[in-house]
Amino acid sequence: MSDLLLNARGMGIAFGGLKAVQDLTVQVPAGGLHGLIGPNGAGKTTAFNLLTGVYRSQTGSIELDGRRVDGLRPHEIARAGMSRTFQNIRLFGELSVLDNVRLACHVRGRHSILETVLRLPGFVAQEAAMRDRAMELLEVFGLESMAGEQAKGLPYGDQRRLEICRALATEPRVLLLDEPAAGMNPSEKQALARTIREIRDRFGLAILLIEHDMSLVMEICEKITVLDHGCPIAFGEPSMIQNDPKVCEAYLGQPAVAEGEP
Amino acid sequence: MLTLGQRTSAVPASRRFRPMVMVLPWLACVLGALLVHFGLPLLGVDEYWQSVLRRAGVLMIAAVSLNIVNGYAGQFSMGHAGFMAIGGYVAAAITYYGSLFFHGSAGDPAFAAQGTGLMLAGILLGALVAAGAGYLVGLPSLRLRGDYLAIVTLGFGEIIRVLLELTPSQIDTAAAVREHPIRALISLNGPTGFYGVPAYATLFWVWLLVLVTCVVAYRVKQSSSGRAFLSIREDEIAARSMGIDLTRYKVRAFVLAAFFGGVAGAVYAHTGANPSPQDAGFQRSFDIIIFVVLGGLGSLSGAALSALLLSLLGEVLRGPGPVLDAWAYCLAAAAALGIGAAVLRGLRNRGWVVVAAMAMIPVLLLGFAVLSGWAKARLGIDLGEYRLVLYAIMLILVMLLRPNGLLGVREIWELFGPMTDADKRRRTLGSGGPGGPGGGT
Repeated sequence: MSDLLLNARGMGIAFGGLKAVQDLTVQVPAGGLHGLIGPNGAGKTTAFNLLTGVYRSQTGSIELDGRRVDGLRPHEIARAGMSRTFQNIRLFGELSVLDNVRLACHVRGRHSILETVLRLPGFVAQEAAMRDRAMELLEVFGLESMAGEQAKGLPYGDQRRLEICRALATEPRVLLLDEPAAGMNPSEKQALARTIREIRDRFGLAILLIEHDMSLVMEICEKITVLDHGCPIAFGEPSMIQNDPKVCEAYLGQPAVAEGEP
Repeated sequence: MLTLGQRTSAVPASRRFRPMVMVLPWLACVLGALLVHFGLPLLGVDEYWQSVLRRAGVLMIAAVSLNIVNGYAGQFSMGHAGFMAIGGYVAAAITYYGSLFFHGSAGDPAFAAQGTGLMLAGILLGALVAAGAGYLVGLPSLRLRGDYLAIVTLGFGEIIRVLLELTPSQIDTAAAVREHPIRALISLNGPTGFYGVPAYATLFWVWLLVLVTCVVAYRVKQSSSGRAFLSIREDEIAARSMGIDLTRYKVRAFVLAAFFGGVAGAVYAHTGANPSPQDAGFQRSFDIIIFVVLGGLGSLSGAALSALLLSLLGEVLRGPGPVLDAWAYCLAAAAALGIGAAVLRGLRNRGWVVVAAMAMIPVLLLGFAVLSGWAKARLGIDLGEYRLVLYAIMLILVMLLRPNGLLGVREIWELFGPMTDADKRRRTLGSGGPGGPGGGT
């Protein structure tokens, strides 16, 4: 199991008496594309917050490419190679599209104030490199023509894609996508599915995806973990998950009387 | 649209390093300061208005530096006057006691050259001490946000004020200073304020430091660190997820702001003013916050311009007489030019609307001067007495009409003209003008 890029075992957190996530294990190999699904309030986003260090997991361990990252602060985890998008878009609205992406390149740079103020050669070269890299990433997402626009002025679908673009700019090994297709129309979703696969192949990422759109999840994910009330209730390939009685129960609330797909 | 290009990921940084770009802005600062120093008297600006411009320069440095922490990083600091007072007192003590120590008296014209050297050393040291204080305030304040941070920084300013009031009285003989040089440095004359600091900060020095502060603030804004500041202001959660170390950058913003706040205070102490403990108080901090908010939080040019214009406005409202001097006509001509340009461009571009609005200010001032002359002659009312009311009304109007300040987060030159990166991008990429709708999907 040493080829696992993301190896989180037995994560759990309780807020007071509420066990938001319990004993959750997520393992994604390099080039893997896994899904995390579950009804509303199942603890999916909390799981992302545990992985990225926003909350500290009270149990278990999290390894990123063989290195323990649980207990690190969010920016350290980002530096270690895990990046994410947000369910409710969290772009830097006042900044330009280019600056949103360029900012995320920051992780891999050096930034002494003296170099900045004096514009020393190292600083100039680094800024140019960041800019080039940001423009290149924007091109991948077809956003380069909007580089100068304010991020908050972008159409909704573009904002979602800009978030993915920004997450990629930190040069992650593991990418966590929190409902990337929310609010998109079917053709946009198709395009998004293509993009997700392409960036995985191009950058050799391990991707973990939260999504409510079942057709998208079933189409692109290789393995799916299902959460309900904070507990993992099923794990397996999409076809298995679709026929799992416990999953149907979690979604529909009735034991094993599944009409159609969840 | 979403297909991947086959570009390799390692595009070499093609832009060559140009040493002139590194040096040129500093030369421009010196040149600009020389221009102000020697040009204004030629235009007939008298000593009174020169002192107003020195004071305005100090406030510009203060506003631009406060903008780094309040505007860029979005950490609402209300203790900026505290940092200014620290810088001011340190520099004042160094110049005054230094003069006594080395020369035997302060303000002797024969000692002016060395005195200016002492002033510069004092400014640097004052700024460094203020930066140290900024570090001390920044560190524990990091866990606080919004109102809570504001209250802590407010408390800091008050602490400085009280500490200054408790200092022993000033020493004024060279012999005493030479005997106890260390003791002298903390003898800051309590509540009455420090007196006798020679006014070595001429228009040249003040405006040199104004321009240098602006260049530094601009370069910081246009850098990776500056974007890190802005991201913290926009969304802390997203910022740290993108690898921004919140602690480091908040402290960095505090220290930078405090450093240049210290510079502002230090310069102020050498403009012939007596630094007093009240200078560290809430009232002074608030004045500077007004400049920053009015100019647009995050806009360097906005902060600088509103500090300059409001200082001038305050003077003009005091007594409209001097406005009718020759240089006021220059302002009016510039205003007419600005309005003319705006009208020619048909106000299609937001930038020119701002220029027109700015250009209206001198016209309004002249109008006010005429009006108040008329009111005094015919109605016997001195409008100068109501200047604070008028000032407040103007602030209210700006806040109602432009809640984000005059410029928002943008710089004035970003609104028009081909000068900035953003504009160049728009141009080369051929998508709409500034403020135009996005290219659509």
